[in-house]
Amino acid sequence: MSFDVNHILLPIVLLPIFGALYNGIMGRRVDKTVVTTVAVGSVVGSFLLSLVGFGYLLSADASVPPVLVHDVYEWFSITVGSVDVPVRVRFVMDHLSGIMTVMVTGIGALIHVYSTGYMEDDPGYARFMAYLNLFMASMLVLVLASNFPLMFVGWEGVGLCSYLLIGYWFTNPDYAAAGKKAFIVNRIGDFGVLIGMFILVAYVAPRSADAFEFSTINAMARTTLESGLGLGDAPFSFSGGAATFTVATAAGLFIFLGCTGKSAQIPLFVWLPDAMAGPTPVSALIHAATMVTAGVYLCCRLSPVLVESPTCMAVIAITGALTALLAASVALVQNQMKRILAYSTVSQLGFMFSAVGMGAFAGGFFHVFTHAFFKACLFLGAGSVMHAVHAHGDADIRYLGGLRKKLPATHLTFLIATIAIAGLPPLAGFFSKDEILLGAMTWFFEAPSRWNETMSFTENVTSGNWAGGWVGMFVFVVLSITAAMTAFYMFRLYFRTFWGEYKGGHAPHAHHDEHGHEGEHGHGEHDDHWVEPHESPDAMTTPLWVLAIGAALVGFLGLPHLIPVHGINWWSGWLTPQHEEFLHVYEEAVASGAAHVDALNQGTAAARRVWSGVATLSFDDQLVHASPLAAGLAMGVGTTVALLGFLFAFLWYQKADGEIPASMMQRMPALHRFLMDKWRIDELYGATIVAPMKWLGVVAANLDRFLVDMVLTKLSAWAMKALGFVVTRAQNGLLYAYAAMFVVGFAGLTWWFTYPHPSPEGEETAVGQVAWTVTPSLGTEFRWDFDSDGEWDSEWTAEGRAEHDYASHRRADPSDHSGAQIDALVGVFETLADNFGPNEHVVAQGDRPVAIEFPSVIPNEMWLHPGARREGLAGVFSDWFPSRPALQMATVQRFQGRLPEGQVPQPGEDGKRRVRLRFSIHPLPTEGNASPAATWGPIEREVVVAEDGRFGVLLGVEEPLLPSQLPRAIERQDDGSELVRTHGIVRFGTAPEAQEAIDFAPQTGMVVHINDAAIRDDDIDDGLLLLEPGSRIPVGNEMFLTVAVQVRATVEARNAFGNTTRRSESLTLRVARRAHAQAEVAR
Amino acid sequence: MSGGGELVFLLCGLVAMVTAVLTVSAKNPLRAALSLLAHVVSLAGLYLTLHAHLLAAIQMLVYAGAVVVLFIFVIMLIGPSGMKPSDNPRGRVLRGAAALVMAMVGASIAFAVAATQAPYVDLDQCRDGSAECGQFGGVDALGDAIFSGAAVPFELVSVLLLVAIIAAVAVARGHSPEEKKALEGRGKAVE
Amino acid sequence: MQIGLGTYLALASVLFTIGAIGFLTRRNVLLQLMSIEIMLNSVNLTLVAFNRWSPGAPGEWMLQGQVLAFFVIAVAAAEAAVGLAIIISLFRLKNTVESDRADLLRH
Repeated sequence: MSFDVNHILLPIVLLPIFGALYNGIMGRRVDKTVVTTVAVGSVVGSFLLSLVGFGYLLSADASVPPVLVHDVYEWFSITVGSVDVPVRVRFVMDHLSGIMTVMVTGIGALIHVYSTGYMEDDPGYARFMAYLNLFMASMLVLVLASNFPLMFVGWEGVGLCSYLLIGYWFTNPDYAAAGKKAFIVNRIGDFGVLIGMFILVAYVAPRSADAFEFSTINAMARTTLESGLGLGDAPFSFSGGAATFTVATAAGLFIFLGCTGKSAQIPLFVWLPDAMAGPTPVSALIHAATMVTAGVYLCCRLSPVLVESPTCMAVIAITGALTALLAASVALVQNQMKRILAYSTVSQLGFMFSAVGMGAFAGGFFHVFTHAFFKACLFLGAGSVMHAVHAHGDADIRYLGGLRKKLPATHLTFLIATIAIAGLPPLAGFFSKDEILLGAMTWFFEAPSRWNETMSFTENVTSGNWAGGWVGMFVFVVLSITAAMTAFYMFRLYFRTFWGEYKGGHAPHAHHDEHGHEGEHGHGEHDDHWVEPHESPDAMTTPLWVLAIGAALVGFLGLPHLIPVHGINWWSGWLTPQHEEFLHVYEEAVASGAAHVDALNQGTAAARRVWSGVATLSFDDQLVHASPLAAGLAMGVGTTVALLGFLFAFLWYQKADGEIPASMMQRMPALHRFLMDKWRIDELYGATIVAPMKWLGVVAANLDRFLVDMVLTKLSAWAMKALGFVVTRAQNGLLYAYAAMFVVGFAGLTWWFTYPHPSPEGEETAVGQVAWTVTPSLGTEFRWDFDSDGEWDSEWTAEGRAEHDYASHRRADPSDHSGAQIDALVGVFETLADNFGPNEHVVAQGDRPVAIEFPSVIPNEMWLHPGARREGLAGVFSDWFPSRPALQMATVQRFQGRLPEGQVPQPGEDGKRRVRLRFSIHPLPTEGNASPAATWGPIEREVVVAEDGRFGVLLGVEEPLLPSQLPRAIERQDDGSELVRTHGIVRFGTAPEAQEAIDFAPQTGMVVHINDAAIRDDDIDDGLLLLEPGSRIPVGNEMFLTVAVQVRATVEARNAFGNTTRRSESLTLRVARRAHAQAEVAR
Repeated sequence: MSGGGELVFLLCGLVAMVTAVLTVSAKNPLRAALSLLAHVVSLAGLYLTLHAHLLAAIQMLVYAGAVVVLFIFVIMLIGPSGMKPSDNPRGRVLRGAAALVMAMVGASIAFAVAATQAPYVDLDQCRDGSAECGQFGGVDALGDAIFSGAAVPFELVSVLLLVAIIAAVAVARGHSPEEKKALEGRGKAVE
Repeated sequence: MQIGLGTYLALASVLFTIGAIGFLTRRNVLLQLMSIEIMLNSVNLTLVAFNRWSPGAPGEWMLQGQVLAFFVIAVAAAEAAVGLAIIISLFRLKNTVESDRADLLRH
């Protein structure tokens, strides 16, 4: 058996699960060394296997999508509409998830090693390690999942682990509350992810198999699809009303809501700073390096869908930029080490989302990668400092300083990571930040202005046209300011921690407030907070060095585009090969002297040939052309602001000891307070959301106390007691009383079985022949009135069965009651599919002339507008109608036409004349334009035609026909109301170009074609047709008309004492059904 | 139906009705038991008119020979002291009303079913004059019917009879003084 | 007078009614037991009568009504045995055979 590299995916996930189970169950009983070996070993094993898989991807031939797939089993399947959609446990490692897997397992392994030192003395060591391993497993499921539900399992799993680890020291109520906060805030986001998933799947499932797979969803994103509209063009509405969003926009916004929860963006970022309550390795692993990037990862995963929605992209970009700015401004003034780093994380995540929103998916993901290194390094460095000064929970930088001598290794690695995050060249952060700024700049230069002057303001907003180039400039400016702030607060943190005088490590008094009152307490208490710092053990410094080296070097994976060498940016070539192919072809075309537009077209065509889908990120055709001007501007501004931030920090905190900021603080106390209180967002949420919820809780509790506990419980108990009292009276122990009750019951049964109560049922045995049956009983006789006209048609008989031939008992004279009479004539329409069920309408009864109304095949409330029917619009299929979502918002147009003489084909083997026609819909010709362009079609359709060439056809059934595609004219009525009239021409023909035209407006004729004098349209537009016996009704080939009669029989039953009872029952007899050619009314 | 059969039916039916009324209305239980004896005998006669010969014999054996004798036995055992009719008027109205309802229900059923018509079915007779043939309702026929079609219920009925015997002995045998004491203690605990 | 199935059924219902009325009106348990015997006998009569008028086709399982009546007789015998034992027990306990006196399980 040869080694199948695909099979490594399962052990990558299973190893940490095993570690978690072992340490969770056995951890307390075995030696600490074993716990360490299992925990670290499983993650290191995963890491090595990931490297094997990634190596395979690297070495694979670039012409095929290199993907590792392991289909483990089919978990379950759900039914969407009429389609079974399987949910598989299937893991996929492609270019995107490959990098993510290596990063997660690699950094995870380092942090596991670090934790063995950091948590050495914690009594819950095994529990901690089990949680960490469980987190790794969940994260790997999230990353490697090939479909949405499995990804969601991981998504929830990391949320759970985050909760468990934040509240790891759960005996501290504040820490436990922080865990709960993270969990609850994340639930809101998860709700969004679920809704987004359902929106996508509901649209994709009827059109493609395996709708949950990311590859399927992404393949559906494009606008040009064989099977209908792509996600970016398909209209979407929640209520079945007018659609204002596309599916991509609706789903994308909901999924982004989920990402704001998991990745701490406005408005759901509030949990992340509080999450620093967990142990420092947790902050580093979960809340900085891996879990919080899951949102960015998901956006990259669904990038083909997101780029189809300009609205969604712009919302993501703007939200990311604002989050970055907000968090950075808060980080400027904070004093707790981990808190500064936490806000820095929120800010950097904002950078990543801005990049995603600008279409620079590769750039955003590059920042995920580099950020993982330097942020993990920073957190672990902070942990090392706290370890050194015995700070439990967090360390206050006001009481640190001068640690560079005492903690040399920590100092050096911290410095490297700080330079990297500040974005100073040539460390990792510089390159990734540059990519993001470049993305914003490119958007500004290249994004087309979408604003459409002919559309209304609202339409422009809802269709995403508002997201023009200005978004790019906005994001660029905001991110530049944020980059300066980042450099400033990071170096502030660095200088205050490692330079200057050591100030003892702890606040002098446990109960000081923010401004401090050290003076009042004197220096006598110095001793109990003065800690002599020491360097951390090797288990902690080794990961620091590895991460610092990574932070210094990984940036070179994505060298700037400014360097004019093709393929210089390995990263972007790896993740978006289409992009690279485009640039390659484009540059060659330009070099060979082609015009700019031609070069663009050639490049786009080449890019489309490169494999896409799940393996790679999407790219926006319009945004690939990064000009050197944009690149230079981005790099110049980015570097300048970073240096500026560094300079201020250096001058204020290294040269001086923070006097300038202190004086600024005193001059602007309100601003300082505002930033210190994190923009009072928590207070805002508290007042607007939490307080009403609490109030609701009080109301509910009181309701429970008074309504449920008092009224419902007590009242029902009392009622039961009363009932019991009454019922037990019957339990009197007297035999004759029991027997008397028995007799009463017996009398009732006797009455039931002797009193006549027939329930007739009819069954059609042959055409027009009905067998009526009732259940006979002892001593009961029956007689029948087959047409319910009050005249009995049979004698008394004990038989329970009577047959009647309705076909031959027709009554010429209404006063003649000798035979039975057909009660009513019914038209039954069945069309399209059996989804609607037969649509039966009784239109005439008794002896009046029988008329059939041909009702709409669609329920009335689904009509487009009241006048639609008159103009031939069949109606609107709304998307709440689940079994045929293909017809969303589509109209169905019914047309009749006639083939020119000589073109009528000969009958086929089945006696039907079939011809393949090509249809298109055009507006009416005007003076200037005799043959206007088609607004719909052409589509080909096989049509059955009559002998004389007539045919009927339903357009819009298989190919959705949007109302906007119908030529329309609005007419103002005399009473001031407006009537929307569709008015146009349907062209059809057998030749490649449609030739014959059918003018379809105004259409007052009926659906069913009428060519027999016996059925006549009385020319009054009331939708009624007169139908007489012997009528022949030809119907269109798309229409199934059933003509039916309804009969109603009455039976009278009589028992031995002469009691009689009558019952009537109706039965619809289908006289002709599914008549493709002709239906004969057998009356 | 042959003329003889009609006569037997009329006679036995009349006797059955009269003895039934006597049974339920007799003051003396012994008389009631004797009326019951006459009742079951007349029913056996009715069975004969219905060609249920073996069943008529079983009716005589089981009812007249065993059940009624058992009744008389018990009446003798209890003696007149336990049979004094009580003059407690309690429940008299309810009893009367229930009896009235029952009479009306019974009458309506009787009227309803009296009209039932069914075609007369000719039955095979023993033609060769042998004592035992496949005669309808004879030992051969009924035995065959029971053992070919209802063997399992038959065995179950034998078990039921066994259980009934054991139960009757257990209920009727009385208690030793020790058992009585224990029972009384239990009764007090219940009260 | 034509004697047919209906006649037998009518007779059986009359007998059943007499038995039921006896059960309702007498309080002597012995007599109530006898009333039950009358009712059971009347049911047997209907079974046998039905069997006479629809005996089943030759070759099939015939005499189903009589077989059922046979079982009813067997069960009635068992019932009489247990019932009489209960009466003796009741007499021993309460020194009476009035059914109204056996009311230990009332509410």
